[in-house]
Amino acid sequence: MATPRDVVIIGGGHNGLVTAFYLARAGRKPLVLERRPVVGGAAITDDLHPGFKCSTLAPLAGPLRADVARDLRLERHGLQVVTPEARAFAPAPDGRALVLYGDPGRTAQGIAAFSRKDAEKYPEFHRALGRIASVLADLESLIPPSVDAPSGGDLWGLLKAGRKFRALGKKDMFRLLRWGPMAVADLVAEWFETELLRGTLAGRGIFGSFLGPWSAGTGAALLLRAAAEGGDAAGGVTFVRGGMGALTQAMASAARQAGAEIRTGAEVARVGVKDGAATGVVLASGEEIPARAVISNADPRRTLLTLVDPVHLQPDFRTKLQHYRSVGYVAKVNLALSGLPSFTALKETGGARGAGALAGRIHIGPEIDYLERAFDDAKYGDFSKRPYLDATIPSLSDPSLAPSGQHVMSICAQFAPFRLKTGDWSGRREELGDTVVKTLAAYAPDLPGRILKRQVITPRDLEDTYALTGGHIYHGELALDQLFTMRPLLGWARYATPVKGLYLCGSGTHPGVGVTGASGANAAREILKTLR
Amino acid sequence: MGSRYDAIVIGGGHNGLVNAAYLARAGKKVLVLERRHVLGGAAVTEEVFPGFKFSVCSYVVSLLRPEIIRELDLPRHGLEILPLDGTFTPMPNGDHLWRVNDHGKTVRELRRHSKLDAEAYEEFGQAMVQMCRFVKPILSMTPPDPTSLDPRGLMKLLFLGRRFQALSGQDKYNQVQLMTMSAIDFLDQWFETDVLKATMSASGIIGTFLGVRSPGTAYVLLHHYMGEIDGAFRSWGFARGGTGAISNAIADAAREAGVEIRTRSPIARILVKGGKATGVALQNGDELYADVLSSSVDPNNTFLKMIEAGNLPDEFLEEVRRYKFRGSSGKVNLALEALPDFKCLPGPGAHLRGAISISPSVEYMERAYDDAKYGQFSRRPYIDMVIPSLTDPSVAPPGKHVLSCFVQYAPYKLKEGPQDWDRQKEAFGDTVIDTIAEYAPNIKSIIRHRQVVTPLDLEREWGLSEGNIFQGELSLEQLFFLRPVPGWAQYRTPVKNLYMCGSATHPGGGIMGANGRIAALEILKDWAKGAI
Repeated sequence: MATPRDVVIIGGGHNGLVTAFYLARAGRKPLVLERRPVVGGAAITDDLHPGFKCSTLAPLAGPLRADVARDLRLERHGLQVVTPEARAFAPAPDGRALVLYGDPGRTAQGIAAFSRKDAEKYPEFHRALGRIASVLADLESLIPPSVDAPSGGDLWGLLKAGRKFRALGKKDMFRLLRWGPMAVADLVAEWFETELLRGTLAGRGIFGSFLGPWSAGTGAALLLRAAAEGGDAAGGVTFVRGGMGALTQAMASAARQAGAEIRTGAEVARVGVKDGAATGVVLASGEEIPARAVISNADPRRTLLTLVDPVHLQPDFRTKLQHYRSVGYVAKVNLALSGLPSFTALKETGGARGAGALAGRIHIGPEIDYLERAFDDAKYGDFSKRPYLDATIPSLSDPSLAPSGQHVMSICAQFAPFRLKTGDWSGRREELGDTVVKTLAAYAPDLPGRILKRQVITPRDLEDTYALTGGHIYHGELALDQLFTMRPLLGWARYATPVKGLYLCGSGTHPGVGVTGASGANAAREILKTLR
Repeated sequence: MGSRYDAIVIGGGHNGLVNAAYLARAGKKVLVLERRHVLGGAAVTEEVFPGFKFSVCSYVVSLLRPEIIRELDLPRHGLEILPLDGTFTPMPNGDHLWRVNDHGKTVRELRRHSKLDAEAYEEFGQAMVQMCRFVKPILSMTPPDPTSLDPRGLMKLLFLGRRFQALSGQDKYNQVQLMTMSAIDFLDQWFETDVLKATMSASGIIGTFLGVRSPGTAYVLLHHYMGEIDGAFRSWGFARGGTGAISNAIADAAREAGVEIRTRSPIARILVKGGKATGVALQNGDELYADVLSSSVDPNNTFLKMIEAGNLPDEFLEEVRRYKFRGSSGKVNLALEALPDFKCLPGPGAHLRGAISISPSVEYMERAYDDAKYGQFSRRPYIDMVIPSLTDPSVAPPGKHVLSCFVQYAPYKLKEGPQDWDRQKEAFGDTVIDTIAEYAPNIKSIIRHRQVVTPLDLEREWGLSEGNIFQGELSLEQLFFLRPVPGWAQYRTPVKNLYMCGSATHPGGGIMGANGRIAALEILKDWAKGAI
């Protein structure tokens, strides 16, 4: 029998790689096992079409949390990021459009064409959101405290967060308390009267969730996203040059340099457990890799319900995990385009603005009701007839992704239920693709004629190909009941599991929002405390 | 020159009367002013048609706090609660679900639908009782201000934290889920029978503008589970003589304690002098003076209609305007020649003595909500019916019956505007009758009289802004220390000596009386401190 490895990490997604880096830096010897031929998980770049490269799944970096970016020194490993000045372009059916920029003053100028009142309020909203987000950002880097027996460290962390909370002042404190449980539709309506602006801001409250803007608690999602993105009301846009795969390649390189070993094409079939403690992993090939500790970057359900034999877990724990909600509603459509699509709304305001305005996210969801109706369809088991789209054209910021003058477009389409009521995804995949293209064509009529290649990835594919159980891009709903001390389960939010020596480090743990490396970094910090 | 009182209570609803009774019992000279010709506010019995007495608005009781029943000795003042046994849900396929207070019977009935659910039901009931035990003391508590460093407030927060910590792991898990989840997500974890989940989830949406899938609705489910009569959890009942009998009993207790009560005394405005409330001006021109004013009407009426501009800080007014009412329900009250005959369980029987719920499936509930979201009343609404005349023959002529239908959704804000309710009123009534007729076809032939109460009627006639039956939505961001507005959850207002004691304060709506009682205790505290 082989000598046991120090630590095995299941899955080489961005969080697994971040965890590997920190463990290696601390002198541990992590071995990362990735089932696919490349590391990266959902942060990967593939050839979409000859000459066209595309971030197949996640289109944007979170961005990385500042400490993670600093510690991994990713720029030394080739990472280059681009943040365009335009953050969001939101066309309306009437041919008008709103552009949100990084500079709130410039955004306000654009809003003034719709409403003077809203233009005046926007900078204030931007600032309030920024202040509140910064308190939440602190919470995101905190290890969730133990609920039963908080330690001194837990209390210290909470106290520090509490002091920051208090420093907000009464008005912002109450805002934070109120906004979280609110429906994002109500939240934006308290500030703004322009429907297009409301829809654009509300989109960030429902992205990735099975919730419409009228669902309570979507305010919290908006705040969390803002916290991860630096508190910008316009939203953060961080492209990685070379696509998201370049980010995870740089992470892998940093981890290796720190001393981690990475094996691809190595699918873990199960976690070995003896006497309630993890003993290592068994690969699909039958190879056994004994290890003193096992850390899983896979989602909580896959890790604990699939990879661990049920006899090693309390039935009650398994039941709770089965109720952990991780059914996904986001589909991805990637397009290779022969040229930049012409948005009607941009023609009217002059072509010069065109490319600049499109450099960030393109938001299709011009009204709150539009977003809510998109959600309605999914409630009854169908994909949205007119979906909410969050698209980017990364080749505008990174020409290396497509031949000169040509472009790639990366579209997140919501809502597409993992389980369809009628038919299945293998039969209806292209129908979804058509719906997405048709929806965009209403704003950019020449788009269909420019498509050289179309790739449609459904939530079913996310599970089948990328092992995201239920097809959820965040490894589980970011809803009030699955956050912080409750992510993934109350009492198990501190990266440990009921199996001794088996840990979690993926998006299914706190804070779990986007490609930020936060879950992986938090997990490493906590795991290093307990590993001997 | 007017008369002088220690305290004047605005509004003779159940909370106003409770408030007055407690103040008078402490030796204060108290006057209650009621705008209408009858006392009770929305807890009122009216002989709408000769011989037929209706609990026109609120129609069942369970939340009335036992300490109030005890301290005001309400049974001696004529209060008698008759049990309302069970909930009967007819289904379109000819089947039905009939749950009764007899646990064994209900379990046998559930077994017909699902063996698993029959087993889970027991456990569910126990879990809910635990949750109610945890939440109950909160109902009798003045909410602390989480943004203040006041030691008493901090102690309260600590007390809540400790109580939470003392819960078992399972109870903690249930509790956080209840506070954050949607009714359906919560129930999905326990049950598989659709009609059972639909019927149970209904109590999660009553009086809110949320669907059964919106987070936060699980909590309201608990709110309705809290019902207790003679200490038994989860039992609802009728007051003999209709809901108005409760108000009358409280009024009787108040009068005995020395309270003076005047009906037909609408108030024009609250007199404020130098930031201090000094009295009221009636619409007939009379002025009445008091050291304390306690308003049981909602914040919209109190602060925006009864107080002249300039007496309240802008920031406070902004919060009051932001407070959400959004009535979502109406009532249809029917005077019947005979009993309705249900296709799925023909003839008279005990199933007609409880609540009859038109909530055949989760999808039905969701579709009912969808209509409302876009500004129309539900084409097929959720209806909660009771026939109090079966339990209390005094409310109808011999052999005749009264049928009270609570109907949701009936959004105050119709697409065409709230005023259009007067035009759509009868169509709304017809929809309700048509819906019932699908299950009990004889309904159309047995109606002698029909009264339709729209949200607009609730606003105009009963003074409930936007027709919200709870004086403001019971949504997470409007509960506890956020009710009615942040920073003013302790029954006090920015105007000195003016207090709030209605359902718009913690712990919210329903015939609880807790609001009136806690407010009275706070007022008396200020009095004892010499602050008044």
